[in-house]
Parts: sequence; C-alpha cells; structure tokens
Amino acid sequence: MIRFINDVCTICKRELIKFFRQKTRIFATIIQPLIWLGLMGNTMSRLTNNPFTSQIFGTSNYLSFMTPGIVIMTSLFGGIFGGSSIIWDRRIGYLDKLLSSPINRTSIPVGKALSSMIQAAMQSSIIILIAYIFGVRFVTGIPGIIVIVFFCMLFTFIFAGLSLIIGTTLKTIETFFTIINFFTLPITFSSTALFPLEAMPKWLQFIARINPLSYAVNPIRTLTIKGWELSSLVQGLLVILLFDAIMFMLMFQTYRRLTTE
Amino acid sequence: MEAIISIENLKKRYSNGVEAVKNVSFSIEKSEIFGFLGPNGAGKTTTIKVIIGLLRATSGKVYVDGIDITKNPNGVRNLIGYASQETSVDDNLTGWENLSIQGKLYHIPIKEIEERGKELLSMFNLWDRRFDLVSTYSGGMRKRLDISLALIHRPKILFLDEPTLGLDIQTRVSIWDYIRKLRCDFGMTIFLTTHYMEEADELCDRVAIIDMGEIKAIDKPGKLKEIIGGDIITFTLKDGENKNRFLEEIKRIENITNVKLLSNGIYQVIVTQNGDKIIPELFKKSNDLNVEIDSVRLKRPSLDDVYLYFTGRSIRETEESKEDIMRRNITIRRARR
Repeated sequence: MIRFINDVCTICKRELIKFFRQKTRIFATIIQPLIWLGLMGNTMSRLTNNPFTSQIFGTSNYLSFMTPGIVIMTSLFGGIFGGSSIIWDRRIGYLDKLLSSPINRTSIPVGKALSSMIQAAMQSSIIILIAYIFGVRFVTGIPGIIVIVFFCMLFTFIFAGLSLIIGTTLKTIETFFTIINFFTLPITFSSTALFPLEAMPKWLQFIARINPLSYAVNPIRTLTIKGWELSSLVQGLLVILLFDAIMFMLMFQTYRRLTTE
Repeated sequence: MEAIISIENLKKRYSNGVEAVKNVSFSIEKSEIFGFLGPNGAGKTTTIKVIIGLLRATSGKVYVDGIDITKNPNGVRNLIGYASQETSVDDNLTGWENLSIQGKLYHIPIKEIEERGKELLSMFNLWDRRFDLVSTYSGGMRKRLDISLALIHRPKILFLDEPTLGLDIQTRVSIWDYIRKLRCDFGMTIFLTTHYMEEADELCDRVAIIDMGEIKAIDKPGKLKEIIGGDIITFTLKDGENKNRFLEEIKRIENITNVKLLSNGIYQVIVTQNGDKIIPELFKKSNDLNVEIDSVRLKRPSLDDVYLYFTGRSIRETEESKEDIMRRNITIRRARR
C-alpha cells in the first residue's frame, strides 16, 4: 500500500513538474475561466433580471448560478485531456520505461489522474477568486469553498480516468482529441452546469438527470447560493464516489494487462 | 559458462496477424555482449520486448536468470535495464529529474539515488549538464542519459535497442566505449540490437543474424565470416544470350565454391582463396562466351557479406507499419539534434 502511494506520487510529480514548466498552459488555465465568466456570464446576465427567471435560477445573479457550472466544466476539460499524456508517453517511448519498471501498474493512471486533480483544484480556486472579483458571494464562505474544491477534485478523477483508459487504445493524439471533443460539449450542455433543469425541455431533463456532471454541479451550486444543505451534498458525493470507484476498477483492469503492442 | 537468458521456441504473432517472431531459440551467457543483427522489421525489437515483458509471447518460454517472465515479471524487471530505440528520456525534465524519477520507479532510496546518480552521470560525462532540460541536449547526450537511466538499479543485464541509431560516427564510437566499459567493470551482460554491421563486428562476442522473424545464423563474428569462406567477388553482367551458360561455366572454375544472384543483376562469387587470380579467369570465360562484364569487385569477407549471404537481398521492402516508420523517423530526428 505504501509502495502504491509512493508510485502514484512519483508519476504525479513528473506530470506536475512538466505542468509548471509550461508557462502557456498555466496562462491558459487562468485566462480561459476569465473569458467564460466575463464574456458568457455578462452576456447572459439579463436572464436573471426578470423575477420569474430568477426564481428558476434560484438567484438574482446569473454569475452566481453560472460559476459552479464553469468550475465543474473546467474540471471536466482538465480531466478529460489528461489522457493525452499517456498517448504522448507511448509515442516518445516513455511508456516502455514505465511498463518495464517494477512499479504498480495501476499507479500509472492514478498518478496521472492525481496530477489532473491537483491542476483542477488550482483552476477552480482561480475561478472562484475571479468570480469573487466579479461580485459573486459564496454563502457558505471559506469552508464552503474548500468543499467545492474537494468536489472538483473527486469529479476530475472520473473523467481523467475515462480518458486515460481511452488513451491506452489509441496511437495518435489527433484521434484522441477528435473522440474527446466529440463528447465534452454534449456532456456539458446536457447537464445543469449552465442552465437550470426547470428551463429545459422534458427529453433534455431526462438526460441531465443521468448526467454525472449534474450530480457534481448540484452540490457546488447549493454551497454557492443556498447554504449547507446536507441532502444535496451527500447525494452528489455518493454519486461521484460511485463513478470514481468504477473508474478505479476499470483503470486497474486496463493497466494490469497493458502491453506496448 | 552458464546461460543468463534462455529462449525456447519463442513465437510472437501480433493482433493484426503479422508473425514478427517465428520459433526462435537461443541463449545468452553471463557477461556476454550479444548482438541481434537484422534489417528493419526483422523482429529484433519484438524479441527484446517479449524478453523484458513489454509484449506477451504467443508461445514459447523465456527465462531470465532462471526466472520465467510470465510467472514473476517484477523479479525479471529488477534484473534488467532497458534503453529503447526511441531514446525515451523526457525532454521536458532535466537530466537529474529524469534520473531521480527513474530511481523512484525502481524503489531506490533517495540517498542512494543521489550517490548512484552522481556516479552514473559522471561516468557518462553528463554531470555538468544535469540541471539543464533534456530538450537542450544533443543526440549523443540523450542516448548517454538514457543508458545511465537504464543502469540506476544496477541491473545484471542491459538491453540496448539500436543504441547508436541516427548518431554520428564519433558519438557512436564513444557509446561503444561505454558499452565495453560496462562489461569490463561490472561484468554486465549486454544484449543489443543493431542493423549496423561494424557495430556488431566491433562490439559483440556473439552475433545472431535475424531476418523475417527467424534466426539465420548465430556465432562469433569471426566464425560467421569463416562460413562465407575466403574472398568474395561481386560482378554485374550486361544482358547477353550466353549469360546463363557463363554462370554455369564459372562454377566449374577451381576454388569457386558458390555463385549467387543477390539483386538487380549483381552476382556474388565466393572463392576459397586467391580471389585476385580468379578475376582474370572470369574475364577469359566471358570473352569466350561473348558475355560482357559490367563491373567487378573483390573483397575480403566482412560481416556485411555474412549478413547478405543469410538475408539474401541488399535492399528490401520491409513490412513495417506506418507507426514503426514514424517512430523511427522521430528517433533519428531527435538523435541528430
């Protein structure tokens, strides 16, 4: 067990060193949420000016409604692109090095996912800070924000895992991005990340109800605009943990038998 | 001598149906430098990857120091070091970071990583550049770093897949010196693959010539040259009606043991001795039969000839996948930096 944690840390450390060295990537992680919040948040802000819609959104500030959506969407993107590193490692031959060493095989995806989780934690903190500057007030304060960041990390693990599994079956980064792009936006827009369930047509409501993204965004939104509502938090946490556990099992299965064929 | 690696009836068929290795058996002795010589796509890398457990064999047995890789993969992994064809060092890390991560992958305590790291990087002349990003290294430095990474856990056996691919001749010679030093100083067993004859000739105690997934010959380089016999005359002919008769007739000349068509009308004649005296006789016969000899060359046998003798063709269309070709191009491009 200690060895497994050590192995995970080794893999994660390598990814993080590389992340912090890429100045453009750090810059993009800051600028992207700024654009989402500044542009999208402001163009849509009139939506909540009307008392009827503000009731549906649960707040009179659309930015407050949208911030949790942006936070979780950024975690989704961060996680789902995490799989590209396994394809890159395969291409430069580094995967051979990892697989020919005696490390625990599962630690490879878990370590990479952990680095995505840490990046997601930093990104969501930045978004929360920017949102605060734009006037969003988090009703649960600092403790609530810590829980939000924690939710983001757990959520990132799901999609980082998924993409690290898909990544093992692909040979080129191009195909990987095609596949990933194919489902990131549909996942985002068929969830309650940017629009409330009540404002959706029936068929979309159905999809939004089974979309894991909705389960992650709901507790975060509760913490942002409603307060400590235990049932929403526990429900969200259980669903996310369930998906995390499934991903962990799948990663274990995939990487245990992985060869470089 | 005791065998440290033994391979019995190894077969590897890829999921796309390509049979990369067909029934290969051989063994490698302790402290031996053993070379796999063959053209691209011959099955060299596949064989190495099966031995170190990166690929699963379709059938056959592989024992490394008595351990069956399928039964105790980590037992084998701790015994071997592997430097792949692609020089798989991480460009976005420094040399030292690459080394310390590699050490942690083998669960070596940090203090020890520091000691061994200093020893290795000094030995490979990389110590002064250890805090520079690998992306600023030259091709030779990357290769040296990759080999030092493969040595951090003090393996008994070192696998080097095309260690000098794409490197210039000075760098190649220096890599050879390092390889010899590893064997001399640490008694390490070294298994390398190459498609450079002079590399196999220069370095290896024994060479296996592999082609189309089969071992065609396996012996000391000197012994392999003896198989070919004395001198070799190669010549090309202009088309003429008596061409075949000419070829038949020269077989009867004393000391000629074999006449073979290599490719594109190049013929190879193997002579037990006095090749220089055979040439005038060839011209005499060709004059008699009115066949025109276009060019002629006499040479002492080299491993090249042994290789061509066993693999048949000089230039070949290999059945490599697009992926293989792309990876090799990346390797060569990176090495030439």
